Formats: sequence, C-alpha cells, structure tokens
Amino acid sequence: MFRLLFAMFLGRSAGRLSRLFGRGGSAIPGLIAEKIDPRVIEKLASTIGQGVVVVTGTNGKTTTTKMLVRVLESAGHSVVTNPTGSNLARGVATTLMETASWRGRVVADLAVFEIDEAAVRKVGPRLSPRLLVVTNLARDQLDRFGELATTAGHIRVAVEVSETVVLNADDPMVTALGDGRDPGSVRLFAAVGEIRAGMPSDSNLYADGRGRVDSPAADVLLERVVSTGDGQEITLRLPAGERLDVTLQVPGAYNGYNAAAAALAALILDVEPGAIPAALESMPPAFGRGQVVEFSGKRVKILLVKNPAGFNQVIRLLAGADPGPVLVAINDLDADGRDVSWLWDARVEDLDQSGHAFGTSGIRAADMALRLKYAGIDSWSDTDLKAALDRAVAAAGPGATVHIVPTYTAMMRLLEILNPGRSAREVWT
Amino acid sequence: MTELVLAHLYPAEMNIYGDTGNVIVLRKRAEWRGIGMRIDPVGVGDTYDFTSADIVFSGGGQDRSQEDVADDLQRRSDDIHAAVADGTVFLTVCGTYQLFGRRFVTHDHTEMPGIGVFAAETVAGDVRMIGNIVVESEWGRLVGFENHSGRTFLDEGQQHLGSVVKGYGNNERREGEGAVTANAFGTYLHGSLLPKNPALADEMLGRALARRGLDARLESLDDSSEQRAAAAAADRP
Repeated sequence: MFRLLFAMFLGRSAGRLSRLFGRGGSAIPGLIAEKIDPRVIEKLASTIGQGVVVVTGTNGKTTTTKMLVRVLESAGHSVVTNPTGSNLARGVATTLMETASWRGRVVADLAVFEIDEAAVRKVGPRLSPRLLVVTNLARDQLDRFGELATTAGHIRVAVEVSETVVLNADDPMVTALGDGRDPGSVRLFAAVGEIRAGMPSDSNLYADGRGRVDSPAADVLLERVVSTGDGQEITLRLPAGERLDVTLQVPGAYNGYNAAAAALAALILDVEPGAIPAALESMPPAFGRGQVVEFSGKRVKILLVKNPAGFNQVIRLLAGADPGPVLVAINDLDADGRDVSWLWDARVEDLDQSGHAFGTSGIRAADMALRLKYAGIDSWSDTDLKAALDRAVAAAGPGATVHIVPTYTAMMRLLEILNPGRSAREVWT
Repeated sequence: MTELVLAHLYPAEMNIYGDTGNVIVLRKRAEWRGIGMRIDPVGVGDTYDFTSADIVFSGGGQDRSQEDVADDLQRRSDDIHAAVADGTVFLTVCGTYQLFGRRFVTHDHTEMPGIGVFAAETVAGDVRMIGNIVVESEWGRLVGFENHSGRTFLDEGQQHLGSVVKGYGNNERREGEGAVTANAFGTYLHGSLLPKNPALADEMLGRALARRGLDARLESLDDSSEQRAAAAAADRP
C-alpha cells in the first residue's frame, strides 16, 4: 500500500511540474508511477466497484468509448475514462491516479477505457475486464502494427481474461475471437444487409460485405440508417425485440455500428433501454470526426483518415454530400504511417460523380493527386496546409461546406490553424 | 478496339500493400491509348489458363495468406512456366515474388516451395526492411516503398530489376532489387509500384502488345503528376 501511495505522489508531482513547464503531461505521471510500483494499474483498477470495460479495435474505439460513457453517466453511474489518445498503459495509469483518493481508491463505480489494439495484449490482463468490446479489425499503418493476424493475436489475449466480450458479428476476424468461449459470455452486434457495406472492416476492402447473410444471433442489430444533414437517424433492435430510434449528431453508418456496440455494452451493464437514446443523442461530434468549425465565414468539416477502411467510410460520406470544395491532406510522419500505399486500396473512384472540387495538400500531396488522377478526378495541389486551406475555403460558395480529409499529423496542424475554441478543442485520434 | 487481358492472381489473398494500384494504372494507361483491358480475377482453386492472359499481376500478402496461396501456386507451376515461355508479361510483388523463386525458408526452418520462375531463394530474416526505396533500372529510376523481412538471394546469372540507390532491395546487403526473367518481373517495391513508375508500366503494356504481334509503340502521355509523386517519395525516409 505504501508503495502505491508513494508512486502516486511522485507521479502526480511530476505531472504538475510538467504542466508548469507548459508540456501536456498525460503520460508522465503514469510513466513515473509505474517505475515505482509496476502494479499501480492492477491495484487501482481493482478498487472500481462495478468493474472495468475495455474498448479496442482498429476504427471507432474512441467514439464507442465516448458513447458508452455518456449512456452510463446518464444512468447515474460515476465513470472514469481515459482522455482521447492516452490509450496505452501509461495513459491508463495516469487516468486512474488522477481519479484516485489519497488513500489509493478510485472514486468511481465503473471504468471505460479505450485501449490501443496492440497495447491491449499487456494492458487488458492488468485491468481484468468485466467487459471487452471489439469494434472491428482492418489493416492500419502496416509499418507500425505489422500484420492483421498479429493484431488479432494481441486482442485474443485480452479476450481470454475478460468476463464477457462484445463482438462485431459482421467482421469475421472479430467474430472469430469468440470461438471456444462459453456462448453465454459472447454477445454480438451487427447490421442488416445494405448497412453492412458501410462497416470499416478489412473483409470489406475487397468485398463489400453485402453477400453475407444477416447475423440472426446478434443481440443488438442496426436496422436503419438515414443521413440527416450533419447527423443521422438510426434504429437499433434490442435482444427483447424492442426497437430504439436514435438521432445521432455524428454522421456515417460506421457510427451506427459504434452506437450498436455502446448500446449492447450498456444493456449488459444493466442500463435501462429507455435511457440509451437520449444519451447517444447528446454526443457531439469531435474535431476530426465531423465537427463543423466556422472559418473565414465558411463551414469547415474535418474527417480524419488513418487507413483504407476508414477512408472508404469518408468516401461514402463525401459521395452523398452536396458538391463543394474537398481538401485531402496526406502526411507520412510516424504517427500517420510512413507508407502511403493504402491510398490505392481506397475506393476513390466512387467520388468521380460527386461534383466536388478537389485539392490535395500535406507532405504527400502529390501521391493523393496521383490517386485522384487515376480515379478520373482533377485536383489542384499545395503542400502548404495553410495556403491550401485558404484556397479551399475561398472556393466555397455561400452556405457550402468545405470538407477536409487529413491524416493524423495534418489534422493536428489544422487544429492550430482553425483554432475552434477551447470548448471544441477535444481531438479524437 | 484492341483489348488486353490482365489476370489478377489472388486479389483477395495478396493485396496488403496497395498493390491493386498496379492494376488500376495498367488499365488506365491502356485506356488512355484507346486500348481496352479486361481484368480476370483468379483466386485459390479457380481454373485459369495463363497463356490466355497478356499480363498477369499478383501482389504481396500477409504471412498466413502467403501460406494459403503457396499450395495453389504449386498446382499452377507448369501453366505459369508455359506462359512465361510464351512471353506473357508477369508482375509479382513481395510475397508472390518470393514464391516465384525456388523456395522460401521460414523462421522455423520449414520450407515453402516456390515455382522457380526466378533463380532465387528467400530466407526469413530478423530485420524488417522498411522505407521508401529508390532503384536505378533499365527503365529509369524506380521509386517505391518496401516492407519485408524475407531476404532474397539471386543465383549467379539471374538478372536483377535494378541496383539499389536508397533502401535495401532484395536483402540487407543491398545487392540489387527484384528479378527479371523474359517478360516476368519480380520486385519488393509497392506503394504501389506502377503509379510512380509509368515508364515501367508502359514497358509492360508494350511487351504485351508486341507478344500479340500488335504495334507496341505507345503514344506518350503527360506524366508530370507521376513524376511529382515519385520525386516526393524519393525524398522521404
């Protein structure tokens, strides 16, 4: 016990110092505390009365986590959750320490942690999850993550130590994670026919998923998705056959999947179905996830892309949007993935009738321009992101929306330029 | 209208590094010259006569996919050798390139037999060779991205695709990149290879036309976008 408290003291002090010197410091307290007491996560997590929920997968884990936290809080739970991007062991340790009393007890009855799909192998077992949610699996930054089968192997380790797992029944690699388990401990979410093609899994890259049959065993089924301007209306069918109609502020069928996953997790945690829609409806889109920012008197919407499955989701959104300027900004720094070959895996051809006016920017603007060229789409290029943004915004007619599609580091730069104000500064990675 | 046939071998299994871009580019560059292109996907277990194709393309895959296709490829060995002898153009990238050599020796010293189109062997290694790569070749400077731990060694006399200017190529000794036998090309360059290297794409189209006895001269295109993308990639780590 003394060791834990000493670790927390040093970690917190280091965090304060780091902030004092103007550095962020969400990793530092955890990093220091873990050096003093390597079991800081285990000890603090075990004090959370109703247990820990872990959310992992390639795409959608941040949104699913945020949705689930909102639903649980609206049902009266006090919930501890990690800030976006702090999804490695040190981020979890920091979050737990910050919410712990000086006696080393976390002041919350539930925790929901988003965990990086490679880190979950080690962090998962340390949290002894009551519930593990796996959103989907898709190729992502192969120079960093390696092969998809390796990622599935990481997640399988966490599956084995989790009491119950919530899996995507429309993603074969995710569904397979439930093989060999007691069927009662495997709960599934899925979507019907047409919507399935909008799910960002790897198996959808070379087949659109429409050929597969509906998953009759799904506990929560996404039955309907209707786009409404910046958001969408969805219908979820619950295990008892009850239906929930929800108006989401976040766009895209893939967010319908995230809502289905969050709703199923909430039901397993004994939330009343009636409490779910209002909580999901209250969730605003974050910067990079469809939030609209005002810039030079125009509406600017940022849609982050990280991998081909995610890019295909954005392409579906853009294909259905009113014609306007679209700026695609591709960087190739470590956090983006150095290999930009994934641009060729995305269905860019689906945009050739969209009527949008395309520009490209970022370190690899020329690669994106070339991808557009072979999809039969003309574009202009400017590697300077600020200049490119100004050009795209200037081209927007009154009331038109400028869509910006950046990779991660380009998005961070856009955040500086657009400066959406403190209340809207939450960035989802 | 002239129509070329491109067989895309293992599109579902061997597609990990954007290699589909090669198919997109070959088709577009043919279409821009008024030449049609039919794409025949050929999966594991499908029946296909490779001599009926003008161009055969196959990409890189994950280790598990590579094991899946290795057996299937063995059954096609005689067909593929006949097509190579007949002048069919082949482009094989990464995982398929390795299997077009004699064999692949994995980490646990088991042997995955290849089909020996190239006089080459690949041995699993511990160092992952990752990054943008520049190669000097008969068809000009080639730019791509490599990501492999297999080390490929060519026999004396087996022609390389080119010499390495930046990056690794076949192995960490930087002894050269890729292999060429008749109209069969093997390479570690993805990214994809052909979008940034249009001269090589046109070389393949020209050879496919010549094999049919058609006029292999292709009208030149404005490749400034291609050159800009190649230049940007060549400058990156």
